[in-house]
Amino acid sequence: MLEVRGLAAGYLGERVVDGIDIEVQTGEAVAIVGSNGAGKSTLFRAIAGLLPPMAGRVVLDGKDLTRRRAHRIAREGIAYVPAERHLFPAMTLKTNLVLGAYPKRPDRDTLELVYDLFPRLAERQRQQARTLSGGEQQMLAVARALMSRPRLLMLDEPTTGLAPKIAQVAFEAFAELKKQGLTLLIAEQQVPLALSVADRGYVLENGRIRLEGASEELEQNPEVQRAYLGVA
Amino acid sequence: MRAVILDGIVLGLAYGLLGVGMTLVYGLGGVINLAYGQMVVLGAIVISLLMDDGVPTVVAALGGVLATAGVAVLLDLTLMRAVYRQRGEERTLLGLLLTLGVAFVIGGLLVSRYPAGGLYISISGEPISILGVPMARGSIWASVMALAVAAALLLFFGATTFGRGVRSVIQDEIGARLVGINPSFVRTVIFALSGALAGIVAITSSMNGPLTVNAGFELTTFALIVTVVGGLGSVAGAFLAGLLLGVVNTLSANYIGQYITSVILLGAAALTILIRPRGLLGR
Amino acid sequence: MERTESGPRRGARLAGSAGRALLPIVAAAAILAVLPSIWFEDSPYTTSLAVRALVFGAYGIGFNLIFGCTNQLFLCVGALAGIGGYSTAIFVDRTSLPIWVGIAVGTASAAIVGGLLSWIAVRRSLGIIFTGIVTLVFSLAFANLLLGRRDLTGSETGLLVTGAPAGLADDQVGAYYLFAGVVVGFLVIFRVLQLSHVGWAFRGLRDDEVAAELAGVDVARYRIYAATVGSAMIGLAGALYAYSSGFINPATYAFDFVDVRVLVLVAFGGLGTLLGPVIGAGVLAFVDEQLSARLELREVLYGVFVIAIFLFLRRGVVATVVDLFNRVVAYLRARPALRPSRE
Repeated sequence: MLEVRGLAAGYLGERVVDGIDIEVQTGEAVAIVGSNGAGKSTLFRAIAGLLPPMAGRVVLDGKDLTRRRAHRIAREGIAYVPAERHLFPAMTLKTNLVLGAYPKRPDRDTLELVYDLFPRLAERQRQQARTLSGGEQQMLAVARALMSRPRLLMLDEPTTGLAPKIAQVAFEAFAELKKQGLTLLIAEQQVPLALSVADRGYVLENGRIRLEGASEELEQNPEVQRAYLGVA
Repeated sequence: MRAVILDGIVLGLAYGLLGVGMTLVYGLGGVINLAYGQMVVLGAIVISLLMDDGVPTVVAALGGVLATAGVAVLLDLTLMRAVYRQRGEERTLLGLLLTLGVAFVIGGLLVSRYPAGGLYISISGEPISILGVPMARGSIWASVMALAVAAALLLFFGATTFGRGVRSVIQDEIGARLVGINPSFVRTVIFALSGALAGIVAITSSMNGPLTVNAGFELTTFALIVTVVGGLGSVAGAFLAGLLLGVVNTLSANYIGQYITSVILLGAAALTILIRPRGLLGR
Repeated sequence: MERTESGPRRGARLAGSAGRALLPIVAAAAILAVLPSIWFEDSPYTTSLAVRALVFGAYGIGFNLIFGCTNQLFLCVGALAGIGGYSTAIFVDRTSLPIWVGIAVGTASAAIVGGLLSWIAVRRSLGIIFTGIVTLVFSLAFANLLLGRRDLTGSETGLLVTGAPAGLADDQVGAYYLFAGVVVGFLVIFRVLQLSHVGWAFRGLRDDEVAAELAGVDVARYRIYAATVGSAMIGLAGALYAYSSGFINPATYAFDFVDVRVLVLVAFGGLGTLLGPVIGAGVLAFVDEQLSARLELREVLYGVFVIAIFLFLRRGVVATVVDLFNRVVAYLRARPALRPSRE
C-alpha cells in the first residue's frame, strides 16, 4: 500500500534522514524502531506532508504523494498521530472527534467503534481536551485519527508520557485495530511493545535504515538485543 | 440616562462588529489589519457611488459588501502571503507594517478622488419608542442588522462544519492540517469574511449618521481598542468589549467631555495591555 | 620580545581610527555646510524645506536609536516631539525664563516620558507589538490632551512661539545651520554609542535577545537607556522646531504627519545604520517637494514606500545599495582580466 523510496528529509538544509526505503502492505503492521534522535519523527513528518522531502518518493497505492501538503495527504487516507498529538485544547472531546471526520459529518458507526475501543472516552465526551489526562489525550488523538476511516494509520511514539500499564492498553487497542484490517505504521522507542503488534520492522539509526525484517527475526537479532532490549 | 445608554448600545454594536472583523484576522493568522478602517470607508464610498448611479439601496449595499470582501481577498492572496511565511512576532510586525502601508494607499486614493465623499443612509419615518426612549429608525435598523449578523456568526462558528474548522485552525493549526483542513484556504475565507464585515459596518454606521471619507484612521483606532480590550483573537470578547466601550463612550461624552472620552477609550486599551494582556475573554 | 607602542605612535593610531570612525559624519557635515551656497539661492522656500528635512532627520536619528538599535517600536515620535515643543513654549511663556532653559526643560520632559514608556514596557515584558500599540495609544491620547486643554495649549488654534533669537526664526538660513549642527551632533552621539560597549550590547540585543541576556547583557537597562537618549533627541528637535517655525499646533506633531514619515525615512535609509535617517530624510524631502501639488497622492506614495521597503528592502535602501556596491567592487577586484599584466 505504502511505498517509500530513497526518502531524504531534514531541517535548514541538513538531512536528518536519508536513503529511506520502506514498504507497508495492506493489512500489515510495520514498526520503525530507533532511539531518540534517530530520525523517526522527521521521517513520519515527511511522509505525512508536514515536512517537504528533500529527495525520494512517497507512493500510496500507486499515487505519488511526495510533495503534497499535510491536509491533502490526510484526505488521501493517511491519518497521522504525532507524538505531540496536536489536539484542539479548548474543544470538547466529542468535538475533537467530530473534527476528525472533516470534511464529512461523523458517521455513527465510526463513533461507536471508537467508543468501544476506548471506553474511557465515552465517559468524558463533554470534557475539554486540555483537561484530559495524558493517557486519555493519547487515546483521543488516536480516536480522532480513526474518525476519518483512514487506510493507513501512522503513530509516532504513541506511548510518550504514558504509564506502562496504559501503554500496554494502548497497544492492545492497536492489535485489535490490526485485527479489524487497519494498516499500521508505528514508530516506537519501546521495541518489545512495538514488535508485539508489528509483523515487520525497520531499525532506524542516525537517519538510515540499519536493519529490516520480520518481528521475530529482529527480536532474535543480537545487535537489536544489545542496543534496544538491554540484553548484554 | 436611559437614552444615553441605549445610544451607547447602538454605538457599541457597531464597535462590536468592527472588533470582530479585526480580531478574526488576528486569531487566525496573527495579523493586525491596520487598514481595516479604510476598508470600511471604501465600502461606504462604493455604496454611495452605486446609489448615486441610481442603484436601489439594498443592491448598492450588497455591492459595497462584495467590494470590501473582494479587496480583502485580494490583500490576502498578495501581500499577506509574504506575511504568513513569517512566524510569531515577526509575522505580526510585518503584517502591522504592511497593512499600515495599505491603509495609506487606500486612504490616500479615496481622499484624493472623493474629497467630499461619504455615505449617509437615511431611514425615513417617525422615531420608535424603545423602553420609553424615542430612537431614530436608522439607529434601530443599524442595531437589528448588527444583532442579526452577530447571531449568524455565532451559528456559523458554533454549528457548521466549516465554522468548526475555523476554530480548529485558531486552536492548533497543525492539528487542523492533520484532520484534512487547509489553513491557507480557511485564512482566505476568514479574511474575506472580515472584509464583508467591514462593508456591513459601513452600512450600519451610515444609518446612524454620515460616514465621511476621512473616518478611516479613527475607525481603525476604535477597532484596535475593541480588539485589544476584548482579547486578541476572541470573537465573543470583541463583541462584548464593543458593547461595553460603546456605552462608556456615550456616557463619558455626555457627562464629561469629548476629548476626555477619547483619552478614556485609549486608556482602556493601554490598561488592558498593562494589567490583563489577554483582554476580557482572550486565552 | 614584545614591542610596546610608543606614546606618539599610539596617539596617531587612535587619532587615525577615530578619524576613520567619524569620517562619514565629517563628510555629511561638509555636505551640509556647503549646501546653502549651492542650492538655496536665497529662497526662503528652499531654506524652509531644508530645515524641515533636517528636523525630520533629527527625529529619525532619535527613532533609529530606539527602534533601529533596540527593537522598541515607539509609535510616538510625534508625541515626544510635541512634548518637547509644547512644554518648552508653555514653560517659557509662564515663567519668563530664558529660552535655553525652556528648551532644556522640554528636552528633559521628552526624555523622561520616553524613558518611562520604555521602563513600563520592560517591567511588563511587553513584546514589540504591544509596545507599538501602547505607544500608539499614548500618541493619540496626547493629541487629544492637546486638543482638550484649550487653556494651556490653544487647542487647534495652536500657540504662537515668540522669542526666538534673530536669524533663527522664519525660515532663515540661521535656522538651517542650527539644525545642521544639531543633526551632526546627534550623529556624533550615535556614532560614539555605536562604537562603545553600548553599541555592542545593541547589536547583540537586536540579533537574539535571549542570547544577549544569557551572555550578561542587561537588555532592560540598555533599552531604557536608548529610549531615554533617543527621546531626548526627539524632544530637543521638537522644541527647537517650535522656535524656528514660530507657531505650533497639534497637527505639527500629529501621528500621521510625523510618525509615518519618520518610519518611512528611517526604514528607507536603513534601520540601525548611522547615516540612514539623514539620507532618508533627504530623499523624503525631495519626494515631498515633487508632490507638493497633490498632497493626497503623497500619502499614497508613503504607503507604497512602506509596503515596498518592508517587503523587499528590509535592511533599508542605503544598506542594500552599499551592499551591492561592495559586491561589485569585490567582483571587479577578483577578475583576472583586470589585474595588471606582469609583462
